[in-house]
Amino acid sequence: MAAPMSLLVEFGGGAELLFDGVKKHQVTLPCQPEPWDIRNLLKWIKQNLLKERPELFIQGDTVRPGILVLINDADWELMGELDYKLQDQDNVVFISTLHGG
Amino acid sequence: MCQAQEEYGGCDQPRRRPRVSCAQKCMKCKEASPVLVIRVGDAFCKACFREYFVHKFRAMLGKNRAIYPGEKVLLALSGGPASSSMLRQVQEGLSRETAKKLRFMPGIIYVDEGAVCGQSLAEREKTLLQLETVLQASGFPYHLAHLEEVFDLPSSILQRVPHHPAGPKDNYKEAVEGFIRQQRQEEGGGPSVPERQIQEKLAKVSVRDAPGMEGLAAPEARLLAAVRTEQLIRLFGSVKTLTAKEELLQTLRNHLILHTARAHGYSKVMMGDSCTRLAVKLLTNLSLGRGASLAMDTGFSDDRHGDVVVVRPMREYSAKEIAFYNHLFGVPTVFTPALDTKALEKASIHRVIERFLYGLQAEFPSTVSTVYRTGEKLSVTPGDAGPAAEPERCLLCLCTLDTNVEDGSALQAILVSERLSQQKLPAAAPAGRGCCLGAEEQRGCCMNTTAPGADARADFLPLLCYGCRLTIKDTTCLESLPLYVRSEAERRKRRAAMKLEIQEFLLEDEAVTPGES
Amino acid sequence: MPAPCSACGASPAALRRPKTGHALCRACFLAAFEEETHQAIVAGRLFRPGETVAIGASGGKDSTVLAHLLQLLDQRHSYGLHLLLLSVDEGIAGYRDASLAAVRRHQRRSGLPLHVVSYRQLYGWSMDRIARHLGPRNNCTFCGVFRRQALDRGALLMGADKIATGHNADDVAETVLMNFLRGDVGRLRRGVGTGPAGGEGAVPRCKPLRHAYEKEIVLYAYFQGLDYFSTECVYAPQAYRGYARALLKELEAVRPSAVADLGHSGERLSLRSDLRMPARGTCQRCGYVASQPLCKACVLLEGLDRGLPKLGIGKHRRLRDKLRDGEPLTQEERRRLGAPAEGEPPEEQEPRGELGTDEEPWGRRELRGPQDLDF
Repeated sequence: MAAPMSLLVEFGGGAELLFDGVKKHQVTLPCQPEPWDIRNLLKWIKQNLLKERPELFIQGDTVRPGILVLINDADWELMGELDYKLQDQDNVVFISTLHGG
Repeated sequence: MCQAQEEYGGCDQPRRRPRVSCAQKCMKCKEASPVLVIRVGDAFCKACFREYFVHKFRAMLGKNRAIYPGEKVLLALSGGPASSSMLRQVQEGLSRETAKKLRFMPGIIYVDEGAVCGQSLAEREKTLLQLETVLQASGFPYHLAHLEEVFDLPSSILQRVPHHPAGPKDNYKEAVEGFIRQQRQEEGGGPSVPERQIQEKLAKVSVRDAPGMEGLAAPEARLLAAVRTEQLIRLFGSVKTLTAKEELLQTLRNHLILHTARAHGYSKVMMGDSCTRLAVKLLTNLSLGRGASLAMDTGFSDDRHGDVVVVRPMREYSAKEIAFYNHLFGVPTVFTPALDTKALEKASIHRVIERFLYGLQAEFPSTVSTVYRTGEKLSVTPGDAGPAAEPERCLLCLCTLDTNVEDGSALQAILVSERLSQQKLPAAAPAGRGCCLGAEEQRGCCMNTTAPGADARADFLPLLCYGCRLTIKDTTCLESLPLYVRSEAERRKRRAAMKLEIQEFLLEDEAVTPGES
Repeated sequence: MPAPCSACGASPAALRRPKTGHALCRACFLAAFEEETHQAIVAGRLFRPGETVAIGASGGKDSTVLAHLLQLLDQRHSYGLHLLLLSVDEGIAGYRDASLAAVRRHQRRSGLPLHVVSYRQLYGWSMDRIARHLGPRNNCTFCGVFRRQALDRGALLMGADKIATGHNADDVAETVLMNFLRGDVGRLRRGVGTGPAGGEGAVPRCKPLRHAYEKEIVLYAYFQGLDYFSTECVYAPQAYRGYARALLKELEAVRPSAVADLGHSGERLSLRSDLRMPARGTCQRCGYVASQPLCKACVLLEGLDRGLPKLGIGKHRRLRDKLRDGEPLTQEERRRLGAPAEGEPPEEQEPRGELGTDEEPWGRRELRGPQDLDF
């Protein structure tokens, strides 16, 4: 059972446009039976934060190609990508490198 | 027919993406823990990444020896990640100790395209304010231009200005050494030449260029600006496809930047195209029929304008590296919506290519660099072009015309198809496409073959390269194009007609002479 | 009621041409399509009077339309050609059997002579058997390399002066994209080669339909009631080329002229003059054109015959050198080259058909390259 945890989720490079232009989101993830990882964080973001055009942010169970993910200022490729187990107070940043957002 | 045609059998399939490995050390210092993975599997720590990034910029400029000491260089800043990162690299370079110092004189241009990218006046003001903060903080002289200003450009912008550089490339070293010597002599505690000049520049308040607006009272200027915005929106409104709009915007933006560079004596323009963006551009331009000018459009240096050379020093950085650098080292960026922001994924050729490349890159991590490297193998000069005669250039993009019809070529086949798909007699109604319908206020429909506008179109197309022809074919009303384009087209047309006349005259003359003797 | 045809102005239009945007009626479209093919043949100087032309006939839409058109235009414009159908049987059950049946039907209707060469007869391996060794990936590499030679060898056997293939504008555009995606610099220009010298094999190749859109070829076949076989190859879905194909379809949806535009781009690319291009020699074993001591087909075959099917795929130069020098490979190295794990039953031998005997004068071991033939 994962305890509720608090995260700082940020969007940049134009990705913020899909979130009402808000770049920083202080969020609290609720309790759930399995531990929180990036995979289910993305689902949660889709349900709770995304305002429009979800396909421009999420494709399949991962981020749209061209969107970078940083976990605590490090490349998510070094952290296990979708399988990274989130910790309380983690900072997750999504930066779009796509043209024009 | 089978998909694996015989030509492709011999090549290896690209590698798929390897599994991610966690918890390794920085591949450079072998000590610190890494913060990002670049290329395929190289993990760098923050400090080594920074060194690598900064070094690469200097190395790129050093390798190409394109920028001479004391030269005025205009940085094209869009507010986006790559150009913002480029600005930071120039700042880094100028603040270095003497040995590694960059020695040119930078200025910055920002082009406000808000009018065609769906921004309201208030939003544009807000963006400009944000940008001005960045521009002022840079300490460099800067120029704020609005896309509306294209309506006041001189037609000379479409003419190549032959330029003889200070010396051949071999003299680069001499030039640098001479410059350093001169600097040492002058060094009496005072600032060096470029620094002093930069300070002089800075002493003046930054220049806001608005050709045609000087000497106007504020309300009049505002009125003129509103008229220009109106004109610009009408122009882009007459372009039927997002693909052609993108191309037109790029063309006009380049003209405006070139004009600013010429007006202020900049001999180089730095563009922030990253490796990722260039890969997208390569495939996009390939799909837009611009194969002939790929090397010019994506190479390190682009001298199509003659006197002002465009250079692309960010071309070896991937979008990922740039995004990480900006994030880790606090490079400010300003997001401005583009023409295609939030547009459908399949709205334009540019969009389709970008999505495709990013998607393939996620699966095969060498995709972008392979495309980029392939582009590097291309030549600027067409294979059979003789060096003697100055080639004819496209009215809009100034690339060498690629529209000579060769036997058996794709272009010839297209012309044959067009001819065979139209009625033999020109008397009947125009082919299929009624343009300008519902735009009655625009006088002179240009698609209609019976209207006078049709002649304009027929006169116009031969002046363009294959790619620009496609853009103009998607533009319904040529009258909306800025005057400088139309008047230069007129000038070229007259010149061609005169040349023809003279030729006929000469031929006649020749024909007559033998009979008389 | 659709708009009137833009060519005759009378009949209602039946289609919009992707290449030009014009709406044409059925009759005008058929006439235009035929005339364009004729113009392409004339402008490209693809044939000379009296030539024997082997039409690469797969039974698919492109080659069926090509064979139909060449026969029609040869009569209409008196090219004076001897036309033949040449089919390659890769040995793909359920795919090639059915498409070869379509070729045979065409042969009966057209009266053109048909010749079939099979992989099994030329190389000793059918594609089905290769696929059993290789698994689902890379089959198209084998098939493509083998077919290139198979057409050449078939054409030589038939005494053809030229091979005409059904490559269309979409194929050309895909190739242009593919060459960039795979960094295939050497093929950047060759892939769209125009004239008779465009091929890289022994017999000159030409592509009379290379400016014709796939869509129009399909429509032409449909309007003419041509009988062709239309199923994807069972091995094709794994090919990397599928990505370029999908991309091209999307580009065409955005801007229908994109297919032709890519063709134009491909023709106008110019390579830097300081690039080193691989020198073209001949294969030491079979005499075919090759840039290495052995041609690709012989390397692939060597791998198959040694039970190391991946020998010719990917970058195994070091292992190839080891084999050449007679050094033994480790178990791991053998595994990397696709050798079956120990304990697996050996591959069954394929029954040889009446054509596949080694005694055939043009069996692969015996066949020397074109240099040795008085041609």
